[in-house]
Amino acid sequence: MKFHNIVLALTSLLMATPACLADIQLGASVQMTGSLANTGRYYADAYQFAVDKINAAGGVKVGDTREKLVLKLLDNQSDVNLSVRQYVQLITEDKANFLLGPFASDYALADSAIAEKYKVPMIQGGGASDQIFSRGYQYIFGTLARATDYYQSTIDALLKLTPTPKTVALLYADDSFDVSVADGTRKILAKTPLKLVVDQKFSSNSSDFSSLLSLIKSQNIDVILVAGHETEVINLIRQAKSLNVDPKLYSFTVGVPSADFRKALGNDADYACGMTAWLPSKDLKDEYFVNAQQFADEYKKRFGYDPDYHAASGVADVEAFVKAIQAANSLDPQKVRNAIAKLDFNSLYGRIRFNASGQIELPQTMIQVQKGKLVPIYGPKGFIEKPVYPMPAWSKR
Amino acid sequence: MKRKVLSIIVISAVIITIALSTIPLWGSPEFIQFSINALILATLAQSWNIIGGYTGYPSFGNSLFYGLGGYGVAIGMLQFNFPFALGLIFGVALAVLVAFLLGLPVLRLRGQYFAIATLALAQVMSAFVSNLDIAGGNIGLVLPLSLSDTLFFELSLGLLALTTLTVAWIANSRFGFGLIAIRENEQAAMVLGVNTTLYKVLAFALCGIFTAIAGGIHAYYITYLDPSSAFDSTLNIKMIIMTVFGGSGSILGPILGAFVLSGVAEILAIEITSLASLFFGLVIVLAIIFMPRGIVDFIRRFPELGWRYFQENIRIYRL
Amino acid sequence: MQLLWQILVNGILLGGFYALMSLGLVLVWGVLKIVNLSHGSLIMLGAYISYYLFSYFNVDPFAGLPISMLTLFCLGFLIQRYLINFVINAPMFNTLLITFGLDVTITYLAQLLFGADYRTINPDYTGANFILFGATVPLVRLYAFGVSISLTVILWLFLSFTKIGRAIRATSQNLVAARLYGVDPRLIYALTFAIGAAMAGAAGSLNGVISQINPYIGILFTAKSFVIAIIGGLENTLFVIAGGLILGVVEVLTALYIGPTYTNLISFGILVLVLIIRPTGLLGRTA
Repeated sequence: MKFHNIVLALTSLLMATPACLADIQLGASVQMTGSLANTGRYYADAYQFAVDKINAAGGVKVGDTREKLVLKLLDNQSDVNLSVRQYVQLITEDKANFLLGPFASDYALADSAIAEKYKVPMIQGGGASDQIFSRGYQYIFGTLARATDYYQSTIDALLKLTPTPKTVALLYADDSFDVSVADGTRKILAKTPLKLVVDQKFSSNSSDFSSLLSLIKSQNIDVILVAGHETEVINLIRQAKSLNVDPKLYSFTVGVPSADFRKALGNDADYACGMTAWLPSKDLKDEYFVNAQQFADEYKKRFGYDPDYHAASGVADVEAFVKAIQAANSLDPQKVRNAIAKLDFNSLYGRIRFNASGQIELPQTMIQVQKGKLVPIYGPKGFIEKPVYPMPAWSKR
Repeated sequence: MKRKVLSIIVISAVIITIALSTIPLWGSPEFIQFSINALILATLAQSWNIIGGYTGYPSFGNSLFYGLGGYGVAIGMLQFNFPFALGLIFGVALAVLVAFLLGLPVLRLRGQYFAIATLALAQVMSAFVSNLDIAGGNIGLVLPLSLSDTLFFELSLGLLALTTLTVAWIANSRFGFGLIAIRENEQAAMVLGVNTTLYKVLAFALCGIFTAIAGGIHAYYITYLDPSSAFDSTLNIKMIIMTVFGGSGSILGPILGAFVLSGVAEILAIEITSLASLFFGLVIVLAIIFMPRGIVDFIRRFPELGWRYFQENIRIYRL
Repeated sequence: MQLLWQILVNGILLGGFYALMSLGLVLVWGVLKIVNLSHGSLIMLGAYISYYLFSYFNVDPFAGLPISMLTLFCLGFLIQRYLINFVINAPMFNTLLITFGLDVTITYLAQLLFGADYRTINPDYTGANFILFGATVPLVRLYAFGVSISLTVILWLFLSFTKIGRAIRATSQNLVAARLYGVDPRLIYALTFAIGAAMAGAAGSLNGVISQINPYIGILFTAKSFVIAIIGGLENTLFVIAGGLILGVVEVLTALYIGPTYTNLISFGILVLVLIIRPTGLLGRTA
């Protein structure tokens, strides 16, 4: 197997320049098995879907030729260290021209160091923590909105609801992304009349929230804001039900937009709030997928489950590369990198434009589950639909 | 073992090491990557060999030292502006301190209880560090980017050579005989005048030193450290399996085991990807049943016994 | 004060479940001297069995307990008889390693077969609760508590007063003597492991109702079971109740008064302290 690669490498050395290679190699190391596979698969499927769609539409125009995109996808088994090694392999052995990112901030943090080291542009749609973009790296870009702004739209909405909520509990897991969310949320709350009564960090992978929930219940808190992982949020909601914890509203950074989360909870998911930077609406037009709604339908048909913002973000990453390559009219990593930094186009994910640190700026839309359906509540332009507020008590459902 | 044989081993080890150190010149970057990881794992296995293989105290918590080494480098370089070397020394100092402080009470336990205690200690340290702000809490620390893979390769190679030479020295020294005596029959060793407490703690500390340096190198190499990657508890099992697979209590066993298993894991990860972990689990189960004494023993006895080697192993150990 | 009472109730209910969770591990460790690192993955399998019974056949998880217990019993029997028995007489940590390999294999098989999606078991009564002196007592947790304690006591009675139970205990104490009495140790070992697996299966089924299921939950169960095994000691399977309750209450109190990120630190810290001070467990005889 290695011999085969040596032969390939030698033959490619004998050829004139990289632009002579027939295909554009995109490399990605994604969590397809392991504890993060549940969300990782959105990226694996989305990347493949986008690559297929773009190739079917004629590929990428570079110079006088149209090149095909080739996706090399590796499973990092939800192991950060393996993920790092795989990105090195993708660059050095598989000769990836460009890199697509993994899911999760800590992976993006570690893997982006490889992109920076080898000066190969990486666009990732899976990590939103501030740490990723505060190192001054030039070769990493992200399509997930900033962690610190996640609760902005929700809090804006809260201030306009009646009866006005007064007290807030903030619960967050202790990993990079969730701590970033908590830091940002605290700052936002400080500027409002809302009182932050409970502010607690919990360990990732916690399964028992009975103490925290009992504490919140004893203080009759109006609003609970949670930054955590899907497993923790599922446990929290179920335990809130069994302990009769009835805030006026509760909101979570993950889970709510995903169909299988809502399926796992069944009716208990009702009235849970969350946020998403993406909804499958017809208004989000796309060059390859027509619009976001059509994308969602085709995705569901091909893969058997509904996409959410993770998948849309993944597609946006691939499209961003295509646009940048066409703008730079070359496969040279430096030129493409500069083209990415200047991108500004509309896609099914929204407006793709990166700020100076490489992060996209997208507002979050507050959403709520109502009778099993996802309803957008509050966006950058104000209220879209009415929320069910206050949330009916568990005993009355 | 006679002095002459020992000096032959040392000299050939040095020659092999020098030869291997040229790999960065001709090897592919991916191979170098793989090698760095395999070398670090081999070092971990070899240092475990000191406390687990020779002394007979199976530590399930060496990730404790690994993490301390990593955080020593990270905190040293980020919070105190140490250069890398000083950070390594800082990490080693932490490891030795912990080996003595925590080793003394824990080394009084035998067999499985010692194993559980070390396992728990590693978890305690990980949980403790994840609550420490100076260590960046559970978010971790981001280290400065270093561009030279060659540096890391040479460092890891050198570390493995150093650890192996130490083990070779132990195997032929009074200290080593004392450790083996403790492994075979601790009571008898005590009666014969071996200062078992001192020896055990020294072995634990030695093991801690090399493991910590490995951890420090790894941290700088990966450039990002958080409690779960620094105190990676899967490493504990990995280093034990590699040593046992290669041959616990031998000099070359851990190295063999580490490279063979790393190679297998890497090939699986590339070829079959989603089934890789599954196969790895099966490999472990089969290896423990058919080759419990490791490759070294296999090499020694397969030629004479042929396929009956496997039958023998099962026959001896089955119920 | 009210809050403290609620927290204590939470802790006690949690502790009861913890007792059942660790029961299988303690049995196998105490009797067979096998440290079973795949214990958690067996619990996970029990959870999936209940999940599929509930989702496809509408079998209530509590009613379906015997089925998941029986399935895990058979699986455990096969594992011990045709796998672990091969390494019993090897150095102790060979069983540690083989059970670890088994754990990895089972976990990834589960991922292949069941997928990585989260599952929950949601019978109608999941949210039901009643008030006891001001504290909300979730009904499901109370049922789980009841089942856990009952199973633990039944097992203890079985081991103490039935012929097979006594044969199991005899084998653990003196293998040779047991053989002289006509007991086939391979059968006894397989039976014991099978019972331990059945208990793990029961714990898994209960867990599916109070928490959520995915292929990777096993390792947390194994870790906590160790803590309970050490606190309660391996002498007597009844002591897991004490171990479980202590851990449950300590965890919830730590979460409230010190901080939720310190639970692991405290739990494992207690484990280390108990090991150093009283290795046979808080309730065991001194060695």
